[in-house]
Formats: sequence, C-alpha cells, structure tokens
Amino acid sequence: MVRRIGIGVWSVIFVLLALVPVIEGNPTFTSIGVFTLIFMSSASAWNGFSGYSGYISLGNGVFYGTGAYALTVIALDAHMAPSGDIFWLVPLAGLIAAIIAVPFGFIALRVRRHTFVVITIAIFFVFQLLAYNFSFTGGSAGLLPPTPNWVGNTYNDPFYYVAFAVLVFTVLLFWGIRRSRFGLHLLAIRDDEDRARGLGVKVLRIKMLGFVLSAFVTGMGGAIFAFFIGQVYPQYAFDPVFGITVALMTFFGGIGTISGPLLGALLLEPIEQYLTIQYSVGSLYLIIYGALFLLVILFMPRGLVPTIGDWRRFVRVHLAQRREKVLPAKGDAVVGDDVAGDVPAVTTGMQ
Amino acid sequence: MLLGIIDGILTGGVYALMASGLTLIFGVMEVISVAQGIFVILGAYLSYSLEAHFGIDLFLGLFITIPALFIVGIAVEWAFLRRLKAQERIAMSILVTYAVFLIIEGVLNIVYGTNYFALHAWYVTQSVELFGVYLSYIYIFGFLLAAGLLAALYVVLYRTRFGASVRAAMQDRTAASLVGVDVRRVSTITFGIGTAVTAAGGMIYGATNSFNANSAEDLISRLLVIVVLGGLGSIGGALAAAVLMLVIEDVVAVVWSPDWATVIFFLALVAVLSIRPVGLFGRQAARAQ
Amino acid sequence: MRRQRDGKLSRRRYAAGSIALAGGLLLAALGSAGVAGASAAPHKQSPVLIGVSLSLSGDNAAYGQAFKQGYELWADYQNAHGGLLGHPIQLKILSDASSLTQLVTNYETLITLDHVQLILGPFSTLFTVPTEKVAHRFGYALIDGAGGGPEAFAAHYRDYFDVSVPVIGQLLPFAKWLATMPKKQRPTTVAYATSNDPFTQPMIPPAQKVMQKAGIRTVYYKVFPAEVTDYTPIADAVAASHAQVVVLGSVDASTVAAFMQAFEQTHYNPKAFIATSGPDSGSSFVSAVGASNTGGIMVPDQWFPSTDNALNHAMTKLYLKKFGGTLNGMNGEIGGTFSSGEVLAAAVKGSHSISNAKIISWLHGNHTIQTVQGPVKFNSVGQTFGGTYIFQWQHLKFVQILPKGAPGSVKTILYPKPVWGQGG
Repeated sequence: MVRRIGIGVWSVIFVLLALVPVIEGNPTFTSIGVFTLIFMSSASAWNGFSGYSGYISLGNGVFYGTGAYALTVIALDAHMAPSGDIFWLVPLAGLIAAIIAVPFGFIALRVRRHTFVVITIAIFFVFQLLAYNFSFTGGSAGLLPPTPNWVGNTYNDPFYYVAFAVLVFTVLLFWGIRRSRFGLHLLAIRDDEDRARGLGVKVLRIKMLGFVLSAFVTGMGGAIFAFFIGQVYPQYAFDPVFGITVALMTFFGGIGTISGPLLGALLLEPIEQYLTIQYSVGSLYLIIYGALFLLVILFMPRGLVPTIGDWRRFVRVHLAQRREKVLPAKGDAVVGDDVAGDVPAVTTGMQ
Repeated sequence: MLLGIIDGILTGGVYALMASGLTLIFGVMEVISVAQGIFVILGAYLSYSLEAHFGIDLFLGLFITIPALFIVGIAVEWAFLRRLKAQERIAMSILVTYAVFLIIEGVLNIVYGTNYFALHAWYVTQSVELFGVYLSYIYIFGFLLAAGLLAALYVVLYRTRFGASVRAAMQDRTAASLVGVDVRRVSTITFGIGTAVTAAGGMIYGATNSFNANSAEDLISRLLVIVVLGGLGSIGGALAAAVLMLVIEDVVAVVWSPDWATVIFFLALVAVLSIRPVGLFGRQAARAQ
Repeated sequence: MRRQRDGKLSRRRYAAGSIALAGGLLLAALGSAGVAGASAAPHKQSPVLIGVSLSLSGDNAAYGQAFKQGYELWADYQNAHGGLLGHPIQLKILSDASSLTQLVTNYETLITLDHVQLILGPFSTLFTVPTEKVAHRFGYALIDGAGGGPEAFAAHYRDYFDVSVPVIGQLLPFAKWLATMPKKQRPTTVAYATSNDPFTQPMIPPAQKVMQKAGIRTVYYKVFPAEVTDYTPIADAVAASHAQVVVLGSVDASTVAAFMQAFEQTHYNPKAFIATSGPDSGSSFVSAVGASNTGGIMVPDQWFPSTDNALNHAMTKLYLKKFGGTLNGMNGEIGGTFSSGEVLAAAVKGSHSISNAKIISWLHGNHTIQTVQGPVKFNSVGQTFGGTYIFQWQHLKFVQILPKGAPGSVKTILYPKPVWGQGG
C-alpha cells in the first residue's frame, strides 16, 4: 500500500515531466530539461552501482565520454544523414560503454573501496588523454556529429523524449534490480563484503554486472549529450566534473534509494543552471553552491529522501504521542513506511 | 635523460610533501581531503601577498603561512569533518572537502581575479650548474625544504608522545581511544598538520609554475594518484610514489613524448594496483572492508 | 484503521507533490524573470538588447573577463555615437562558467526568454561551434572575435561571421621574416613545442614548411597535452636542443611563463622566441613572467593597444577612462571583441534594420568594414582575410614589428632577443 502511493507520486512527476514540452515548450526549459533528464538517468545509474554496492566511483565520466564518442564516430563513419535516425545509435553507444566497463571493472573492482575511488579517477584521465592522442577521435580538434536541420523552437523536443525514454528504462531497470536477488547481493556487499562472500555471494561477478549496467545507461546519456550539443571534444566529453556531479546529486537526494538520485538531479541541475545564470559574475555561484552542499551534508547527511522520511516519522510519532492521550495507542503506523520501496541505509536485506 | 631524472626527483620531493599531508590525514581520520589541491593554491597566494605587499621573502613568509594554513585546517576539521558519522565517512569526507574546495576557489577568484600569478625571487630565476645541467636554486631549495619538513614530520611521528598517539590512531581508532588517546584531538591536529604542509608545497609550486585558483583541479588528481600508489596512510609510500611518478613522467616526456607521459603516469598506477591492490607500501587490511 | 492510514497518505501525497512543484516553480521563476526583462518590438529610444554568454569563471575565466571588458567598451562607445539606429545598446551578459551545457542553455535563454534582438559570440572555438548551431536554428547572426579554428567554419553556416583572421596563417609573417634574412644572420635551427589545442596546433605546420625551405632545420618538435601541469621537462628538452629559434604553441600566459622560467634557469637564450598566445594578454603576461623578461618576446595577433588608426585611438582612450591601468595592460582579445561589435553596428547601419536576416544578407554583400583591427570583409562562410601581424615586447611596450614596412610596424626589431632578465 505504502509502496504503491510512493509509486503514485512518482508517476505524477513522470507524467508532468513527459508533458513539459507540451505545457511549456520554450527551448530554454526543454534544453535544461534534456540535461536534467540525462542527469536523472546518469545519477540513477551511478546509484545503481555505487549506491547499492558502496563502491564510490568518480570515473563514470569514462562511460559518458565513451557513449558520446561512440555515437559520433559511428554516425560519421557510416555517413549517416543528419536526421532522427541517429537516435538509434543511442543504445548501441550504451552497449559500447558497457563493453568498455568490463576491463575497467576487472582492474578497478579488485581493490579496496577507498582505493577504488582514486583508481576510477586515474582510469578516467587515461581515457581523456587517449581521446586527445588517438586519431579516430579527432584528437584535440574533436569531432562534429551530424546536426539535424530542425527549427529552433521545437529542436529540443526529440532529444527531450529520447532522454525521457532512457530515463524510464533506467528507473524500471534499477527498480527491478533493487527488488531482485541480484540487488540484495549488491546491498550485502555494501554492508559486509567478506560476510557476503562467506555466504556464497559471487562478489566480483555481482559487482561487475552492476558496474556494466551502470555504464550502459551512462553511455546512452553521453550519446544523447553529444548529438544534442553537436560536438565532442576530449575535455567536454570526458568531463572530470561529470563523475563528481552524479555522485553529488545522488548524495543530495539520498544514496542507496530509488528516488534519491532522481530527486537530486531533478532539483540540482536546474538550480545549478539557474545559479550560474544569476550569480556567475565574480564566482559567487561557486561559494553559494559549496555552501548549499555543506548545509545539506551537515543537516541531512543521508540526503533529502531519507531525511524527509525521518522528519515525517518524527512529526508523526510526536502527533501520535499527543493523540495517545486521547486515543488508544497504535504503534503499527510508524513502522515500515518509507518512500517508494526505499530501504533506509542502515538496514539490509541480507538477514 | 639525466635531466629528466633530476627534474623528476626534485619536483617529486615537493609533491611528496603535499601528498604526505593527504596520506597522513587519511591514515588517522579515514578522510580523503580533495581540498588539498586548493589549500596548495591558497598557500601560494598567501606567499604572493606577503611578498608583494610586505616584501617578505618567500621562505621567511612560511613562518606566517604555515601557521595560517594550520589554523584553516583545524577550522575545517572542527566545523565540518568531525561532525561526520563513522558510516560512509570516506564518501562524505570527499563531499565535504569538495564543498570547501568550491568555496575557497570562489573566494580566491573574487580576491585575486582569474589572471595567472607567479612568485618571484632571485632564487627563482638564478641557477647553478651541476652534473653538466643547470638547476634553478628554487628547485634545490624547494627540495631541501620539502626534505626538511618531511624529516621533521618523521621526528614528530616517531619520537614524540603526540606522534605515538597519531600512530596508535592510525592503526585502530577504537583501540587507541581505549588506551587513553584523545582521538578527536589527535584528528584535529593531524588535519591541521596535513593542511599546513601545503603552505610550503604551495610556495614552491607557485615559484615553479604560474597558477590561478583553477590550477587546483590538476593538482588534486595527481596528489590522489601518488597517495594511492604509495598506499593510503603510508608516508614513506607517498614519498617513494611521488618521486617514482615524476621521474617516470619526466623521463618519458624527454625521451619519447610529453603527450604520452601523462598517460604513462596514470597507467603506472593502474598497473601497480592490478598487481598490488593496496599500493606499493600499503598495509594489508585485516578485512577487505 | 484503514481510514486513518488514508488520511496520512493523502498528507504524504501532498508533501511529495509539493516537492515536485518546487522544481516546477523554480523553472517558472526562471521563466518569468527572463520574460520580465524582455522587450517586444523596439520603438524610438527603446534599448536594443544584445545577448552574450561568457566564461566568467572556470577554465576560460581569464579570457572571459577580457571579452566582457571588450563588449562593454564597445557598448559604451557605440552609445556615445548614437547607439544602433538611435536606440541605446543594452548588453545582457550571462556566464557559462566554462561549461558547455550552460552555454547552450544560456544562448537559448537569451534568444527565447530574454528575447534579445541580437547576439555576440562567446570565447574560443570550443564554445563557438555549439553557439553557432543554436544561432543557426533561430536565424540569428553570430558575429564573433575569437572563433578562428577550422571547425568553426566546417558547418558552412551563412549566419556565422568571424572578424578575426583564421588562425592557420598567423605565424607566416614570422616564418617569412626569418626565411628572408641574409644568410649570415639567418638562424639555422628551430624548436617547436605546441599544445594539442585546436587553436594553436594548426598554426605550426605552415610556418615550419616556410622555414624548412629556407634551410632552418627542425631540431625539436613535440606536441604536449593541454592539461600538462609540469612543463619543466619539455622546456628543458627544448633548451637541450640549443635551437636558435623557439616556436611555442601556447594557449595562455601561464604556459609561456613556465617555459621562459625554465629557459632562464638553464641559461638558454634563443635568438628569437615566439608564442602563439599569452604575450598578448597585457598586464597578465607581465605579472606572470616578470617585467625584465618580456623584452624580445613575440606573438602573432591582429591588434595591439597602440595600433595606429583613428578608431583604435578612440577606443583606447575610452578604455583608460573606463578601466584605468595602462595601454600595455590591455588584453589582446579586447581588439577582437570590440571589432565584433563594430561589425555588428556597421551591419545594422548598412541594412537600416536590426532584423537578423537583413544583417546576415548585408554582411554577405561584399562590404568592407573598418574596425580597430583593420578592414574586414567576409567570404561565403564568414571568414575574413585581413593582415596578420607579429608583435613584440620592447622595453615594456607592446609594438607591431612584422610584416616589415606594413602600416604600424616599427623599424626596430629586438633580434637577437635580449638575455633573460635584461629586457625590461
């Protein structure tokens, strides 16, 4: 019942998101929308591996960049006409990013968690530098994917809906994982890897699968980004800030929950763009953005979704206690309700 | 070739100093401070201001900038880091220090603008001939300073009561507090020391490179790589890794191509970690996590 | 029981709904803020709104700030000279914080929410290409002072115009000057080190070809990645090659400073030293390398603070009044940005309209436009081929030296370059 309502809320949000180009078709909104949707799926994908398994990756930019280059290189090599057909390359680009994730994961997933953070950064820079040095990536001059000749006012809409479709796919994928045996195994690894191994979880294989799925979704996001912007350059396709951004969005919303990364990206991407437009003069926006994060981390260390859950529970217990004086007690309403099937970070499904 | 090796060793010493702070902080507190890069730049700007406005020599200025950054470090630890719960501590510490990074970067941009700065002094431009190659005094002085400070750090860690507490906390925080070590205080001071070394690192960095607040991003990725290669928490490891990495990079740049030198720098880390997941001098953890 | 739960759940739905709404409201606030600042069809004396996105923070901030000065200077100048067809110019500058996603949003905001009537370009080729695409979709003329890289012209858009000379030939006056020296004076060796940047790297091969022909041997040629932090080994290798001429493909003053410092430390004094970018950034360059090292350093550019034409005198006078400082402290990019404004003003005047379509077709009409950088005339893809000049720092003055005998070139060229530390 509770779960169904959480789903209901998100359904409303998704219907609203689907209607954005119809209700407010202004290109500014739809272009912020495209980036927001890409970040929603990328943050979910990041959470689907790093949030569930506890292995914090700051190198997801590798998959984003790989997806961006894959779409561009294939579209150019196949001499594809600048039309919507290029969107069919998006899943293919995701697949290529997923393939890249196999050797990456094979090296990175064998080390301890805090070392993992740094090795993902290092591998990220290797990829960025390779994009500079190889000839098929166009080196420092980058590549320009075909750009459709659509009119300005509705140009963003196809990109918006493709990004939206990818998001729906992503949410269903990680929602399914969260409820599956595989998802439980990932959570078990987060809580106690040695114990999980002892209980017969094939740790490396599970981590690898999570990593590859995460890469697949992120690669699709990168592909849409490249096609939308109309160019790929090493420093912007393989953007070091990307990996940090998806992590921040997830932490902001609530790591390890389904709705956390969605909410984090849905709020932060528009806020960031807005702050940059408003306060960028004199770097003030860096200070505001940093301060905002410190506030969230200090006062809601587990992110928005779990903290809101805590507050609501607190209020409800408080109300219930007050009512207790009038009505008979009913403790059961307090337990076991959290948003949309999210399990708070302290509990685990491995009992 | 010889030139590459000498350059690598001298600059490696300075990187070792900056990285030692990072690895010390991690060892004691299980905190990865991505603000280390911006602290270095902050140190460089402070040295600049002292030199430009008060005519204080860069090395003498360290008597002011080192305590100043020590205080900054203590303030950051006290205000933010000590409030983090043990759970998800590493991840949360990355976020907190990243936020600190952004704020300091914004402040530096406002105070100093975005133009590039460089530190000037006679020893920056004059040089001496050694082994048939010219070496600038700043590299030699910088290396000596770094070596001196690292030695001092060693003495503090291994010859003082405080050092014993730090090492105890590095091995096991809980056990250390059980035998009467004030782990909180040790953590605060450690973060202060780990940050203070960036004042010296920043001065030398600023005298050998020109910089603005944005330079911190390049720095931090390198420092992290060095620290992990050496083994998180191992100061000796950071030292060895810094020198090794810079020698490799500089030699590759000279004999092959600067374009690939940076790739090699990062690939070296990947290669080492594939064979030894804890880094060159890392302690084998009792449990995987 | 069930009843009570339902009561709670509706509160929950309300709470979650309001979160979703908060996001929506934010977007709405953004929208209305934009619309409020917009103006519809211009009537007499109503301002003409011109939109620009600049990198005021992040990687490109040093240049973004220079661009801002250039555009503001032009708006002041133009407003003092009758504005655009009598309408005062109002600049709307947004910052993209050196981020591509922000850049695209910014130009779309400017065009569709702020309803700016005209736009001007951002900094650097990397940012020009996406801007070009947005401008093209909405039929806006994009006039730009720093695009320059070959990619900017690859799409063959009719609405893109670059007022600066394409980068590819910019080192040629330097190469030709060395190649035509009497055999006795002519250097025999040259070292090239260039960043793998789309702006610098293309300049090197044409210059190398000219010098090779004249018997100036290449003793070192290395490409380094843009994000290198330690230039010492590369600079030391250049020094070890003992080349008489050094050509540095730099993107900023910081790179040039690092090389110069390493050269000075190794007592390596090439006879000629040219860097593709950096020495033209005025006071920023002087503070990065130290005044006594500037003597003899060369850089290709189109404009410099003392360029001798009436337009430039007027502009520099205004600059000193507005921003203070000295002429030699002006950033080289200011000339290009100011020129973009002048070209836009000329097109508005020439076409008697602030309609983008008319401006575009006028700009393709083979007109020659006078700018502070010299005359500009566009070909079919919006390129102009004016003069390229080489400038040199001489006794803390930034002067034009090449091509020899060209208007504005001074007679003396510091060659060989003064020894480090003695060229103040």
